[in-house]
Amino acid sequence: MLFEGKYFDGLSSAPFQVSVNFDFLKNKIFFKKENEDFIYWDISQIQFNNYGNLFEIRNKKNLDSVLKIDDENFSQFFFQEMKKNRGIDIHTQITNAGFLKISIITFFLFASFSCLYFYVLPPIAEKSVALLPQTFDNYIGDMVMNDFIDQNKIDNEKTEDLQNFAEKLYLAETKKLEFTVVKSNKVNAFALPNGQIVIYSAILEKIQSYDQLAALIGHEVSHVNNRHSIKALSKSLAGYMMISLLFNDVNGIMSVLAENVQQIHSLSYSREFEQEADEYGLKILINNNLDPYAMVELFEQLEKESEFSISEIMSTHPLIKNRKEYMQKIIQNSDYTVKTNNQLSTIFESLKE
Amino acid sequence: MNEKEIPTNKQNYNLEFFGKGSEFFGIIIVNWLLTIITLGIYYPWARVKKLKYIYGQTSLNNERFHFSGTGWELFVGFIKVILIYIAFLIVYGLLIMVNPILGILFVYLGLLAVIPFIIHGSLKYGMSRTSYRGIRFGYRGKRGELAGKIYLWTFLTIITLGLYSFWFSMNLRRYTHEHFRYGEIEFSNDCNGGDWLWISLKGYFLTVITFGIYSFWFYRDIFNYYWSNLKMKNGENVITCKSTATGSGFFELIIINLLITVFTFGIGTPWVIMRNNKFICDNIKLNGDIDLDSIHQTEEQYNNATGEGAMDYLDLEIGN
Repeated sequence: MLFEGKYFDGLSSAPFQVSVNFDFLKNKIFFKKENEDFIYWDISQIQFNNYGNLFEIRNKKNLDSVLKIDDENFSQFFFQEMKKNRGIDIHTQITNAGFLKISIITFFLFASFSCLYFYVLPPIAEKSVALLPQTFDNYIGDMVMNDFIDQNKIDNEKTEDLQNFAEKLYLAETKKLEFTVVKSNKVNAFALPNGQIVIYSAILEKIQSYDQLAALIGHEVSHVNNRHSIKALSKSLAGYMMISLLFNDVNGIMSVLAENVQQIHSLSYSREFEQEADEYGLKILINNNLDPYAMVELFEQLEKESEFSISEIMSTHPLIKNRKEYMQKIIQNSDYTVKTNNQLSTIFESLKE
Repeated sequence: MNEKEIPTNKQNYNLEFFGKGSEFFGIIIVNWLLTIITLGIYYPWARVKKLKYIYGQTSLNNERFHFSGTGWELFVGFIKVILIYIAFLIVYGLLIMVNPILGILFVYLGLLAVIPFIIHGSLKYGMSRTSYRGIRFGYRGKRGELAGKIYLWTFLTIITLGLYSFWFSMNLRRYTHEHFRYGEIEFSNDCNGGDWLWISLKGYFLTVITFGIYSFWFYRDIFNYYWSNLKMKNGENVITCKSTATGSGFFELIIINLLITVFTFGIGTPWVIMRNNKFICDNIKLNGDIDLDSIHQTEEQYNNATGEGAMDYLDLEIGN
């Protein structure tokens, strides 16, 4: 079996015409330049590149010299020999498996990664927050709060009233809570992981009763107690980490961390988190002998608001109608007693002034 | 017989690019698969596959170029770069605790100090792994010399408020090209900062007043300037390069690339890369009398991929 080829000896750029042959016993290919001895290459020592039927063969021991053979018969024959000698790397093997198989592998890989991304990663990320110390929550919260205070005007009198109001409530808090009222016409309220709860003056104006205010406070306290913002941060970071792993973009992780931390007060929580906070708010109302329907009324007040302006709290709180109905269902199935609370009423009056 | 009396034989040179988008797409997709499955460890091997394909599909007078780097080399290079990076961060961390200004100063000076070494290492590695007809390319620049020059040019750029940057980039191009070798063939580039300043100013100005339309002709000017100044010399014999690229050629290339990228949501990128390479090869004409059969192996073996790793890690791109 002879194949015509071209040989560059790695010493000069001049090509030599050679005839290439196989020695199966010794597992070698051999060829010779005119007037010189035969050159033997171990098939196990061979590297090759192919471009269609053109094969460029190199010897691992001397990578400069190269043998070039452009012959359809050689191409098939040689490929088989290389296969036997495990001389074909994984990439070439997959590439040669054909378009269909590659597509199938790609599809399954894509499907399993999507599955991982949407169903496996979020719960793991959420659970792993338990490993983070509370000092982390405080650190992040302090950082954002300092930033926030610099950019907003605090209503000191109302802040004092609100703090007073909250202290009269039984909240089952896990850490010291600090309440702040800022002057703003945005209808919004948010809780930071360090126990800072910020309520905008515009939302106070919307609130009609002390029960409603307690409902709002209960809802926000739940975000603190259940570490919702840290969980959301962990989830979005984990998701991003996977994406960046897929696309080899490691620097992106830091920018996502930085961005999410800055945005933590406008972070949109998932539906589960909001529902958990609603339920918690309701429990607070019942435990304090306040009217649980205040939760529903609060939603109605906020809903009204959204008709003529885009309210911040609405845009991040999904499907308020469903949440209202869900609350009503729970209230119907629970025992509660409502007592007038004069202390709260007095403070609330002062807050509304 | 006197050698000088032998009439020089004008040679024909034909630069071609054979790469196909569909083939390149196959390579990229398999690279992607293997990189994901190995959690990124395959990345250096994937890079080698890509380079091997692009080099192998580039041909001069029907002989293909060859990239002989290996995944292992790049892998080791990357590891070294990461270790250096970590060491850098530790020093930075310590300094910033002592004095923040010291830390920031360290980052800027450190980066500036390290850039010439990255450029040098990358060129040295890249050229030593490029071969044609069994003969290796080489880069003979001296690390210390280049570093000294780059520090000086950086200083001049700062004190001229950036004006010197035009000379900086052309000086760098001239220095690196003059130290390229292919066997006995020496390279040179006749570019200079003054010309480059004029081309750039003209390009920016006309691009702005034509609302971007001139940008395609600006690309042409940049491409022309690069290639028309590149020369190869082997003793008495030379090869000169000429660009045949036109503004409308660039217009067609870029607009179609843009359409491919947008309408395939980026999946068509392999086709875009192939089109770019083909455009480059189709638009460079070589003229001269160097006999491509007469070159001998002259460059020493070189084994260090740290520079290449650093280039990739820091996402740097130099010259072309």
